Amino acid sequence: MSANFVFGRRSTVRASFFLGLLPVVVFAILPAAAVFVVAMTDIRSLPFLPVHWVWFQNYETFFSAAQIGYNLNALKNTFVFAFAVTIVQNILALLIAVLLNQKLRGTTFYRSVVFFPTILGVTVIGLIWTLMFNPTASPGAAIWHLFGSSSAFFGDPNISLYLVIFVQIWAGIGVAVVIYLAGLQAIPNELYEVANIDGASSWQKLRLVTYPLLAPSVTANVLLCIVGSLQSYQLIYVLTGLNNNATQVLSLAIFAQGFGGAGGSSQSQGYAAAISVVQFIMVSVISLIVMAYLRGRERKL
Amino acid sequence: MVTRKLQLSIKSIAGAMLGAVLLAGCSAGNPSATTSGSQAIPKGTLNMLVSSSVGSDAGFKAVNKAFEAKYPGVTVKFSSIPNANYNAVRSSRLTAGGIDVGLADPVQVPSYIPASNEGDDARLADAGGLVDLSKQAFMTNFTPTVLDAIKYKGKQYTVPTGLSYYSGVYYNKEIFQKYGLQIPTTWSEFVTVCKTLQSHGVVPLGISGKDSSGINMLGVVQNLFPTAADKVALAKGLWDKSVKLTDAKPEQVLNQVKQMYDFAEPNFAGVSYATMTSGFVKGQFAMMSDGTWNQTTIQAAGGSALNYGYFPLPSSENPADNAFLGGKVELSLAVPSNSKNEGAALAYLSFFSQPANYKSFLKEAGFAPTEPNIQLSPFYTSIATYTKTFEPAWDTIWIANTKSGAKAQFPFDYNDIAPLGTMTPQQAATASQAAWAAGF
Repeated sequence: MSANFVFGRRSTVRASFFLGLLPVVVFAILPAAAVFVVAMTDIRSLPFLPVHWVWFQNYETFFSAAQIGYNLNALKNTFVFAFAVTIVQNILALLIAVLLNQKLRGTTFYRSVVFFPTILGVTVIGLIWTLMFNPTASPGAAIWHLFGSSSAFFGDPNISLYLVIFVQIWAGIGVAVVIYLAGLQAIPNELYEVANIDGASSWQKLRLVTYPLLAPSVTANVLLCIVGSLQSYQLIYVLTGLNNNATQVLSLAIFAQGFGGAGGSSQSQGYAAAISVVQFIMVSVISLIVMAYLRGRERKL
Repeated sequence: MVTRKLQLSIKSIAGAMLGAVLLAGCSAGNPSATTSGSQAIPKGTLNMLVSSSVGSDAGFKAVNKAFEAKYPGVTVKFSSIPNANYNAVRSSRLTAGGIDVGLADPVQVPSYIPASNEGDDARLADAGGLVDLSKQAFMTNFTPTVLDAIKYKGKQYTVPTGLSYYSGVYYNKEIFQKYGLQIPTTWSEFVTVCKTLQSHGVVPLGISGKDSSGINMLGVVQNLFPTAADKVALAKGLWDKSVKLTDAKPEQVLNQVKQMYDFAEPNFAGVSYATMTSGFVKGQFAMMSDGTWNQTTIQAAGGSALNYGYFPLPSSENPADNAFLGGKVELSLAVPSNSKNEGAALAYLSFFSQPANYKSFLKEAGFAPTEPNIQLSPFYTSIATYTKTFEPAWDTIWIANTKSGAKAQFPFDYNDIAPLGTMTPQQAATASQAAWAAGF
């Protein structure tokens, strides 16, 4: 019986499992659980200061008449951002992956180009696109000028959120493409040969062979995208700043409340933790619903 | 009570400035009492954390270099963090005991405001998180009246590195001369200047919508409520709800801000602070609302070819109201009580305060001096008439209600007016009044 275990004994398996679990508990699960506790205090961002239990007062503040407008605006922007990024990024990534999966000259080079933005840091990406969309002199301004127009780009409240979505997709599409490519390469070639014999068009092959067999990749990509974009704030912060109504998202509100930043009448970190809990519940519910739907779809296929 | 305290502070700082401008020989401080005396020779690492600005960074670096030369046993680890990130970085570094010299600005909350609105720095001082510098010999280097103005509950926790003014407008003298324009002294004159410039195809105003548009609002408030007493009355009126943000005069603030937006360069909403500064230096527009802290950068970028000046934004129709600039005490250095090298930190502050070293800081930083007997730079000499009476800026008096909504934070909602936001001044005033009222 013992021959079934690596190193011969059940205890070694257990020991190595718990050793691996320890950092997860210490660095992920405990801090996550602590947020629920912190959300019931008035803890501030500095040492020395006394901490008091305020129980559910932070949640009351979140839903209070004074804050609800700001928070609903942040929620709306979060949903628009997450929905647009998830849908557009996945459709584009799938099409690019199908394209890069062809036997073309220079495919490796093209794959590298698509993946390249992924390796850049958020600040670098922010800098690149701030320069690209500088309202006074930039490639973006030159293109707008060709059409006899001009724009404040990231400063225009009507388009700034969509520009940020565009940059987020540009920055994140590489990983999605790689996941889809891996999925595509796992699809047996025979299926395409059969489809060819049956006289299927390219569109039919994509819709009826490729897409169904890519279901696990779709699930992984969509979930990663939803969770990532519902929590994303770094790029928005770098591109449009901390206190911009047009691009304020929930994660950015957490940062703004927790650490104040420029000219903010910031609340306590306890309040920021309470927003995190609201966000956690929101992300969990949405992710679980989407996961249940996508898994169900995989099973049907 | 509060008004009286503020008036005292203002008189004090006015005195400080007068001292700086006029006094040549008579000293209010004691510049010779500068060394750390019998204290042990400092050594080890000195961790310094400040918020970044091109001028002050260069100033600190100059002092740090001289400090390390004097005390070879000390290595200064200087970190300058962008303003927006300073609080976050300070929080983690302070928790880890990793700051020996940092920034703090504890402000006492007036009696008409609930203590729950006290800022973090005041709480930090109350909790014993900052070293009391009141009895340090080097504090006597500073003009006592400036020290009075930054006293917190009777104690000195901070070293004032300078004074800045920011209710003014930089203007390009060549453009003004070309079109025969004079410095405007009333709002109507300012509007006429802008219209004249526009009629010649010149953009009147540069604004950084991305980073510093609030400075236009501060400039307008400064002289519509010209004295500190007026500003305190406004703040008090808002807090006791006898004044509404939708009343005629507060709404006038937003109307004038909107007029400034209309005179600004196209698409200014997306322009960064650096782009605005370079636009002014290149002569892309004739004026720019900005603080005196940017003067050394403008000077360095423009060189001798750039002929510019600075005047108070004349937001009032009464020229007498527009006579002075609003300002504040700049970056204030403090020593956290969990500093791991308090000896070196105090030695540093002592060294920094010595007039010779302080002068080398000022030369780069572009602040007005907080020590007596220091020759003003040519720029500060050129604006001396606007600074001979010190007027505190609105944001040094206003304390926001943490229970109110974000739109009532300043509390004039300049950020929602088109094209920065999507509202008219009236809509923004209504929105900020609703957000303000919701906090009670």
